[in-house]
Amino acid sequence: MAGDIFSGSRRFSDGMNALGLAAVCGVLLMAFIWQVAFDELPCPLCLLQRVGFVLVGIGLLLNVRFGPSPLHYALILFSALAGAFAAGRQVLLHVAPGDTGYGSPFLGLHFYTWAFVLFVLAMAWTAAMLVIDRACADAPRVRRNGPLVRAIIWLFFALVAANLVSTLLECGFGACPDDPVSYLWWPR
Amino acid sequence: MTGRPMIMMLPFLTALLAIGFAISGRRGACIGLWVVTLLVFAAWCQYHMTGVLPISL
Repeated sequence: MAGDIFSGSRRFSDGMNALGLAAVCGVLLMAFIWQVAFDELPCPLCLLQRVGFVLVGIGLLLNVRFGPSPLHYALILFSALAGAFAAGRQVLLHVAPGDTGYGSPFLGLHFYTWAFVLFVLAMAWTAAMLVIDRACADAPRVRRNGPLVRAIIWLFFALVAANLVSTLLECGFGACPDDPVSYLWWPR
Repeated sequence: MTGRPMIMMLPFLTALLAIGFAISGRRGACIGLWVVTLLVFAAWCQYHMTGVLPISL
């Protein structure tokens, strides 16, 4: 009976971690589509928030590849805190009256505000998952993932690679300008 | 911004390597590169967050 409960909880946990990784892919994809479709280049703080999402994704990926562990959840929490710090800083930068913010708003909020909300949600999600996975120990073992989960993992890999190339095109091997208007290595 | 050198794409590169290690089943290397990425993230935050905020807290 107890075995059934733990087996059900483990399946639920696996599904939630894969879903979390898919959600991170969704966020990165959305940011990337917006960048390409509307030709809005990400500022340095926007790029740092993307890095924050990638760090969260790595914690989720570790859960998906090696099984849930308190260590992996700690990585997700630290990543979400780091991301919320960068997003919160940008919110405070533009919160003053008369400031129209950076970039176009989406559903009434700027992307950095959405990022802050999502990082806080990631922290709440991790707390909930630590309750669900309270019996899990740090016993890493490489798992054989199904085709759907493998597709999510490779999508995550491809999106991070795309961000690497896009940042290289935008900033080269240096710092990005605070308010970028064109790609450094992409003539138009 | 300061005159210190910085490479904006570096955290994406270290993160990509970390993901590659996770996919190939090397957890220790993945976590090590996660730490490196977080340290680069913190350094780049410090690089870009030097201005005074236009608000009173």
